[in-house]
Amino acid sequence: MEETLVKDSAVRKPKKNKKITWAVLKEQRQLIYMSVPLTAYIILFAYVPIWGWTMAFQDYKPARSFSEQKWVGFKHFEFLFKDDNFLQVLRNTLAMSVINMILGFATAIILALLLNEIRKVFWKRTVQTISYLPHFLSWIIVTGIVATSLASDGIINDILMKLHLIEEPIQWLSEGKYFWGIVGASHVWKEVGWNTIIYLAAMASIDPSLYEAADIDGASRYRKMFHVTLPGIKPTIIILMIMQVGHILEAGFEVQYLLGNGLVVDWSQTIDIFVLKYGLAQGNYSLATAAGIFKTVVSVTLLLIANGISKRLGEERLL
Amino acid sequence: MANHTTRPGPATAAAATKSVRRNKIEPILFNTFNTLFMMGLVVVTLYPFLNTIVVSLNAGNDTIRGGIYLWPREFTWQNYKALFASGTIYDAFWISVARTVLSTLLNLGLTTMLAYTLSRREYVFRKPITLIFILTMYFNAGLIPGYFLMKDLHLLNSFWVYVIPSMISAFNMIVIRTYIGTISESLVESARIDGAGDFKIFIRIIFPLCKPVLATIALFVAVGAWNSWFDAFIYTSSRQELSTLQYELMKLLSSSMNANSNPAVAAGAGMTQDSAVNMVTPISIRAAATVVASVPILLVYPFMQKYFVVGLNVGSVKE
Amino acid sequence: MGGKKKSVFRFSMLLLLSLGLVLSACSGGNIKEAAKNGNNGQATEENTTNGVEPFEISVFIGEAGQQPTPDNKIYKLIKEETGASFKFEFLAGDIDQKLGVMIAGGDYPDVMTANQKLTAAGAFIPLEDLIEEHAPNLKKHYEKYWNMMKDPNDGHIYNLPNYGVTNADVSSSWYSGPAFWIQKDVLAEAGYPEVKTLDQYFDLIKQYKEKHPTIDGTPTIGFEILNYDWRNWGLFNAPQHLIGHPNDGGVVVKDGKAEIFADKDYAKRYYQKLNEMNALGIIDKEAFTQNYDQYMAKISSGAVLGMFDQHWNFQDAENALITQKKDNRTYVGLPLVFDEGIKDHYKDRPALNLNNGFGITVNASEEQQVRIIKLLDTLIQEDWQKILSWGIEGEDYIVENGRFMKTQEQRDVFTDATWKLANKADAFFKHGPKTEGLFSDGNATDAAAQPEEMAAALREYDKNFLAQYGFNTYVDFFSPAPENDIAYPAWSVDLVDGSEAKMVNTKQNELSTKYLPKAILAKPEEFDSVWDEYVNEIRKLNIKAYEDRINEVLQWRKDTWSVK
Repeated sequence: MEETLVKDSAVRKPKKNKKITWAVLKEQRQLIYMSVPLTAYIILFAYVPIWGWTMAFQDYKPARSFSEQKWVGFKHFEFLFKDDNFLQVLRNTLAMSVINMILGFATAIILALLLNEIRKVFWKRTVQTISYLPHFLSWIIVTGIVATSLASDGIINDILMKLHLIEEPIQWLSEGKYFWGIVGASHVWKEVGWNTIIYLAAMASIDPSLYEAADIDGASRYRKMFHVTLPGIKPTIIILMIMQVGHILEAGFEVQYLLGNGLVVDWSQTIDIFVLKYGLAQGNYSLATAAGIFKTVVSVTLLLIANGISKRLGEERLL
Repeated sequence: MANHTTRPGPATAAAATKSVRRNKIEPILFNTFNTLFMMGLVVVTLYPFLNTIVVSLNAGNDTIRGGIYLWPREFTWQNYKALFASGTIYDAFWISVARTVLSTLLNLGLTTMLAYTLSRREYVFRKPITLIFILTMYFNAGLIPGYFLMKDLHLLNSFWVYVIPSMISAFNMIVIRTYIGTISESLVESARIDGAGDFKIFIRIIFPLCKPVLATIALFVAVGAWNSWFDAFIYTSSRQELSTLQYELMKLLSSSMNANSNPAVAAGAGMTQDSAVNMVTPISIRAAATVVASVPILLVYPFMQKYFVVGLNVGSVKE
Repeated sequence: MGGKKKSVFRFSMLLLLSLGLVLSACSGGNIKEAAKNGNNGQATEENTTNGVEPFEISVFIGEAGQQPTPDNKIYKLIKEETGASFKFEFLAGDIDQKLGVMIAGGDYPDVMTANQKLTAAGAFIPLEDLIEEHAPNLKKHYEKYWNMMKDPNDGHIYNLPNYGVTNADVSSSWYSGPAFWIQKDVLAEAGYPEVKTLDQYFDLIKQYKEKHPTIDGTPTIGFEILNYDWRNWGLFNAPQHLIGHPNDGGVVVKDGKAEIFADKDYAKRYYQKLNEMNALGIIDKEAFTQNYDQYMAKISSGAVLGMFDQHWNFQDAENALITQKKDNRTYVGLPLVFDEGIKDHYKDRPALNLNNGFGITVNASEEQQVRIIKLLDTLIQEDWQKILSWGIEGEDYIVENGRFMKTQEQRDVFTDATWKLANKADAFFKHGPKTEGLFSDGNATDAAAQPEEMAAALREYDKNFLAQYGFNTYVDFFSPAPENDIAYPAWSVDLVDGSEAKMVNTKQNELSTKYLPKAILAKPEEFDSVWDEYVNEIRKLNIKAYEDRINEVLQWRKDTWSVK
């Protein structure tokens, strides 16, 4: 029997359903010591402050103590949902999130696959390192470059005109319909290199004998990619996707804020920008908290659904 | 996971010759395409960073005019001089180093230990604890409750606020857990038969085998700790000696943006050509700050890369 | 295993190293903390030459800034003479977040720069009794404005305004406020005409642009408009000035009553003009998609002929032009109005800068409160004001025949931000009480307003340019500022966080951001329909709440501030 350190986990013992008895607790006491204190730790730092969610049901003023706050029930939630712009803002957030997610995954996986095919180690490492450099630049710098490139005299219009694809420069940032694409492309540009790190690491653990077998079967590079490498990192992809689905309302605000303007505002406003304007900027912490609660409820629901679907399909699951 | 376990049977002779012929042309096409693609990628991702370096070496007054691409038009060290002028940067640098190192070490140790316990199927508390941790990725109690917690724990204005609240991350834990899941059970089994408890198994067997995933997580944690400034802003801002590098750079950047709203400062009255060159502008300060902040972390990654070759497998829990 | 031992070793070394660093940082901090003693302000063990007891004041400044160097000569002087030293903390992120946690936790230093949120939270102590008892100089300084400084809600004085207490109508050589700017070369080529109306302005620009389709290789931009981030006055504010009103923020105050101007016909007139100009290609096509950096780049290329803006907003770009020796492409501000009959009111007398300046927090001990107010009392005296504003005689300025002057070298260092960290007490002075106008010896309090300095600072080109108009400075283009309405300005009215008024204001600005660009860029025949849609949307808002709030405060000001 092969005793490799990293082995396929297809052969597993069946799950045991242990009843919690004192005997069991004693038997597993080391595991308990190793994990329960840490759980207490996370409960302290992440869950205890949740009492602050009550702020969403008050007209919270920082100056007053807790007992002096005025209770207003669902007023802030109503404000959020009833605002004319809410649906639009929600739509924008979801659209940009989904686009970013799809583009993000697709490009990172493809790039990782291609990087994996580079034979010379030095060249591979160099390209990899350079590709994640944009991750370290702030969005302010990146959007500055994006804005310059998309200007009438910018490089994008330049190239398109030289290729005779357009006759006049296009005002990219003045048309709402381009905005989501621009945000998506900017995200890819900035993060694709960084996102490949996990996939590349995962690829390195695929059993080399699989490749040898594919070679003998006469597989081309493409087929090896699709039938060996890709399946090899499928678990990674699925887990990351499930976790990402939970973040669907986190389209962020920096990019949209920096690249947005009056002409595209119907496409560029996200929930976070909305909350910033009417929440914190007005000293309205309650609104910000209410929006946070809304986001969490949606996130967890979607997460559980995604996890459930994955389980049904027999794929990997998070929980 | 892809199928394997047994070596495939020998291919037919016909298939072998066909594949030999295909294998002559195909790699060339593929490699050419790949190389071209990678070169394009390098250009596109290297440019923003190079441009930032160039802008940081260009006189602020001149950068305003735009049109700086790959070479400084008016070379100057003034932007860097401005960064180091106030002297607070040196101490802040060391604080950042300290917190990054400590955070990384603590995270690696504790998260891995936790991940190990949650990878044990038989552990009675496995499901609930996993759930508790995963949910933390999707909610945030809010700024003010968090502040109160730090205050009550006496972490305000203390160095430890940089390290203690962020010792475990659920995301990292998932990554490590699934990697541990690929380590052969038989190793653990035989150790148990020899009488080893879980803790010993963790320290002696599992932890050393996790080098690849530890390298990845170390990188993520280090970058996160190195780049954070918000905690310095909220929790320790009244103690200058605890400031971190990123926070100092943020302060500098904000103050250069602020400088021009003061009429007396901005007045062009009495200014000569020479003194004008010495002026720094927000754009150039931002560029210099980015370079100073990124370079240390960029030097770390190449050291991590060698661990990726060994292998990392991010999978999931499979039944 | 050797490898394992090595990594354990490395591991522990790293751990030790970081622990060492941490401990030194912590303990260093603790020792310093014990010595300074935070908010108690107890004396340190150091002795000063004058036998004055040293004490430290912790200050939070609500805007970005840099720490002065430890050997800053002015702060050193202050410490020697008064014993006071400052521990500054500057804001580097979002002020709302920082104030939120400070207020919630009650964690204030001794002194903070004023902010309506803080006053509302009760963070400051009332100052009027302290001043009456311990600070005669301050009382004299603020005498005329005493009632204006009182908080509308409870009549206490919570902060000491840092600007607006003038003793003479001295105009600086530099106009910092809003205006319609035009490139000097445009006027020069047209023979230095008098430009009073909007139509004349655009005619000149049109002519110049036709003659010069490009400038130094860049396509000429007739008129530029910026609306990015919080810099929105370039798009929003012009209409109020065009009908002869000063900057009152989002309203126009007629006969003591405030109303918004965004939906009025005269606003329509302005934007319709812009729409016409856009059809002629005068307006920058990218005006509404550009960010601030791009705006500045265009101006500093010299290709922009005109814009409506505040001077300090694009000063950096002008400096870039000066560096390129393109003086003729710098700008002069014009106070335009719609028609000849209207008198321009752009330049205004500085109003008292309410809700700004320092306040003493409830966390300062009583001893400390007295020490602070006494210090401020000392520093408002003329000798100290001279030091704080001009500097040290002989080092930072020279005196000729009793007149303060600077050498070119001294002028140059004044623009160097790094030099100032070591030689000026700006962090304190910017927010501290100050005399504005003239000193008792006739010298201006601010170097920029000293006539000799203004004259010496003019470059050749400007001297000639101004001579053509018979003016001494660029400020002369503007009508002198009339006496302010008692309740002026309306933009300083506190809209109260979380109120309907504030929310309406935010929404209205949003509508303006969305519709005005659309209206300007629309085809001329479509302008009316876009404008009507815009006005309808505005009318849907509860504008009354906003106007009522402003009028409420204006009325209160009229009632209280006229009582001396």
